[in-house]
Amino acid sequence: MQKSRRFFSALNKRELLLPALFLAPALAVLLALSIYPLIYSITISLQQETVAGITWGLGNFARLFSDNFFLTALGHTFIYAISALVCEFLLGLGLALLLNNQIRGRGVFRASLLIPMMLPSVVVGVVWRLMLNPNFGSINGTLKQIGINTESLTWTASPKLAMLSVIAVDVWQWTPFVFLVLLAGLQAIPQEPYEAALIDGSSRWQTFWHVTLPLLKPSILIVLLLRTMDLLRVFDQIFILTEGGPGFATETISLYIYRTAFRFFDFGYAAAMSFVLLALTNVISAIYIRLIQAEPN
Amino acid sequence: MRLTLLLALLVLFSGCTGSPQSKQLTLAVVSGVEGEALKQAAADYEKQTGTHVSVAEFPYSNLFEKELIDLKARTAAYDLIMLDDPWFPRFAHEQVLTDLTPFLQKRGKSGPDSDFVETSLALCRHPYKTGSLYALPYVGNSQLFFYRRDLFEKYLMKPPLTWDDVLMAAKTIQEKETTGANGGQVYGYVERAAQGNAAVADFMPIFWAFGGEMFDANGKPTVNSPQGIAALQFMIDLGKYSPPGYASFNADDVGAHLLQGTAAMSINWPAWISSFSDQAKSKVIGKMEFTTLPGAEKSGHAEIGNWLIAIPRDSHNAEAAVDFLLWATSAEQMKRSAQRGNPPTRKSLFQDPELVAKYPAYPAQLRSLESSRPRPRTPYWNEIENAFGIFLSKANSGDLTAEEAMNQANAEIEKILQRAQ
Repeated sequence: MQKSRRFFSALNKRELLLPALFLAPALAVLLALSIYPLIYSITISLQQETVAGITWGLGNFARLFSDNFFLTALGHTFIYAISALVCEFLLGLGLALLLNNQIRGRGVFRASLLIPMMLPSVVVGVVWRLMLNPNFGSINGTLKQIGINTESLTWTASPKLAMLSVIAVDVWQWTPFVFLVLLAGLQAIPQEPYEAALIDGSSRWQTFWHVTLPLLKPSILIVLLLRTMDLLRVFDQIFILTEGGPGFATETISLYIYRTAFRFFDFGYAAAMSFVLLALTNVISAIYIRLIQAEPN
Repeated sequence: MRLTLLLALLVLFSGCTGSPQSKQLTLAVVSGVEGEALKQAAADYEKQTGTHVSVAEFPYSNLFEKELIDLKARTAAYDLIMLDDPWFPRFAHEQVLTDLTPFLQKRGKSGPDSDFVETSLALCRHPYKTGSLYALPYVGNSQLFFYRRDLFEKYLMKPPLTWDDVLMAAKTIQEKETTGANGGQVYGYVERAAQGNAAVADFMPIFWAFGGEMFDANGKPTVNSPQGIAALQFMIDLGKYSPPGYASFNADDVGAHLLQGTAAMSINWPAWISSFSDQAKSKVIGKMEFTTLPGAEKSGHAEIGNWLIAIPRDSHNAEAAVDFLLWATSAEQMKRSAQRGNPPTRKSLFQDPELVAKYPAYPAQLRSLESSRPRPRTPYWNEIENAFGIFLSKANSGDLTAEEAMNQANAEIEKILQRAQ
């Protein structure tokens, strides 16, 4: 109470004018670049353009349910996100545990593991597209050298292997990030709980399960959240690697939204899809936080 | 304090005070050989007339959205725009282009001159062929059939006239030519069936030759007609002689196979012709032949793919833009564009002895262009092509049978058209 009264009296004295003046440019930029586009995209998601003119309503959202392309792309997004997340997490955790030990050449390993993460996704896409080329690529070239028949291994061109290929590329690029965060988490764990566990005679597995994992939980939560959000809106590597193909095999929501907006010029429908993706991402993140926090220590 | 503000304002507004009288044009072009020729023409024009022409260059994949967003927002940022012909119906439908006829009449012309190839000029009218003129054709591309003359001679085969000839030749070459260039397999044919433009462009000539039509007289999609399904089945059969993974091939994959001598035939665009005689790129110098597309039940038709130049409706310099447009598409200037590597859209230039000496495929190109067909003229072509291409690609990668693919494509195309109602 005391504070707020002081606050208002300050306002009266026009002492707030200067801070407000300093804040104004930042607020204006925020308003122009963030708030206005958000409101605008909400309005266009409620508009449908037809021959008769613009009609208002939830038509764009209703259309989502009967759009096979949208539903399939949504399915692909989840397959992609879940598979990549599981692989990245397990590999990242394994690597972090391994390199948390005193092993020889640890510095070199750590540094070289981070390279993929430093590359722009577009570069990663181009490099892997060349490597995965069925006829001229280095992967099939190597396999041929060691006597494996590569006739059916067309990677990004095969409807069966294309999704696997794009997931593998994401795992290659982003496992280092998971590794980095988890390694930082591991190194922040103090020695005492381990010593206590040792005295209590717990096995290595028990130590890992009852000491390491619970103490690592904050890092795990952060890394899973960040990766999930990133994976759900994946665009660049897939766009470069397959452009959603062959056929529709690797089309994710973001690619379909891009196509709808900039190729078919249907911004309303694209905005509607974007909001659905946003809502789904929020729900999933909330579930995550709940699940991990609810786990008994 | 006040002085600084005043000065700042002055600096801000001084940008806007440039005299509107000075002649200046802004041109949106595609990056690549087509836009490059127009860019150089713009520089020549500036030297000749003193009209400053500034050029905004965009990659192909961004040009459509840049232009349409700008034109719909009515910013009048461009006075002239390059359009790929399948985009034209969308622009015309949105009513964002200038009708050129009144401007031509003002200059004492009843219409565009008759030297333009009719199929090219037809693209510039809305509705197709019969409506008002909203653009002029600048680059006259149409598909050609590429084949290895040396291999055809080696196995005593005649140049292919029908798709059955093509299939037979592909089989013969693939079976016999197992130690060809690079000591490896030569594939009989190379198709491209990446979803989207690639698959559709490669399929349309087969589709048309088999008697398929995308729409009936009432505008209903009919891609799943028996002819359509047979055409797709043929494309899949021919795919047995195409390099593995062709269901994700784009133009550059096809070009690479032909240049490396690892495939013997394909449908391709004239822009590739020159690279076959380039020492650095080609392993098949002097071995390629370029001709019109084979037929089947119906005669063969190439898909047309012209670059058009149009004037946005909101351009502030329409008069000056029309002058430039007429100048750039004149026979004299288009000849220079042809020398810079772009096929013309004028009959006289395809027959120009100097150009034919430089580009021996010109007679075939003219025949192909004159008998070419456009992609269906609908403002929703981008969306339809996307859906159609997905199913064509799926059928070629073995995901769907020809019949399933065509039925599903037909249903999706119908949905797109219904939504537009």
